[in-house]
Amino acid sequence: MNMNLSALLGGSRYALEGALHGVAAGLFMITATIGLFQAYRLLTGTIQHPAQLEFGSVVNALLAFLTVLFGNRIYIFYRAQGGPRSYFMENSPQIHKIFFEFKEFVALFTLPLAVTAAFLFLAYRDQMLRSKGLRTIAAVLLALTFFYFLVAFGLGAAITKLRGL
Amino acid sequence: MRTTEKPTGIAVAALWAAALGVLALAGSHILADRSKSGEAWVHAWGKAWMPGAEGIGPYSGKETLALLTWLGSWILLHLALRRKNVSLTAGGVLFLVGVGLATALLWPPVTGRMVHLLQGGH
Repeated sequence: MNMNLSALLGGSRYALEGALHGVAAGLFMITATIGLFQAYRLLTGTIQHPAQLEFGSVVNALLAFLTVLFGNRIYIFYRAQGGPRSYFMENSPQIHKIFFEFKEFVALFTLPLAVTAAFLFLAYRDQMLRSKGLRTIAAVLLALTFFYFLVAFGLGAAITKLRGL
Repeated sequence: MRTTEKPTGIAVAALWAAALGVLALAGSHILADRSKSGEAWVHAWGKAWMPGAEGIGPYSGKETLALLTWLGSWILLHLALRRKNVSLTAGGVLFLVGVGLATALLWPPVTGRMVHLLQGGH
């Protein structure tokens, strides 16, 4: 890693993987929040053009995938000898159990939820706007994606503050 | 202009598959926590294909089993329901129950209790 990049990302051996996970999660936070707003619009019936939802929901699903993918990479470092997991298991195992184990699982929920939402928008297109049932289902999926993302993101940020890589 | 409405079975199949995927995640987590042999079995699924699975540990197998269940059940449910109109209310409620149950099972105190019960505890 060159000097400038090192100064930007930090000195850790795992800085690049951590930064990629953080960037993906940061972008996912934006699209998941937009998704929550679109869920509200779906429920209130104020969306006129389904194409507004198709592209955004695909990006949302793609970012869910990338966040999980890069998360997998840094999980290796989290579990490594001398990594944060060892530290928590020695000093406060409950932090690993509650903060990390629960986080690592609920973070995975975002992928099927976001993919299913995107699939419904692409599969049903205009029909989505005519069917209150489909709109409600899609809104629930987007809201749940946001909820599970928020839980995982919040716990992830807390762990990073307690013991970074 | 007359438009052709797609059956709701397509949506319900996708919803139920997502719920089954997260339930498989919870199930494999409990299985891995229950015994060393369960943990090794779950981990083997991850080691079979996932780069870095050794470092990721049994979590790689839990992800793999969840992914296989999600996508596999999606294909099967889609084939079964794609031409049917299924109640979105019933489908949605069942989906929410599945996701809620998976969340509860993954909450560490509940996981611990389930593992304890499966090990024959009271």
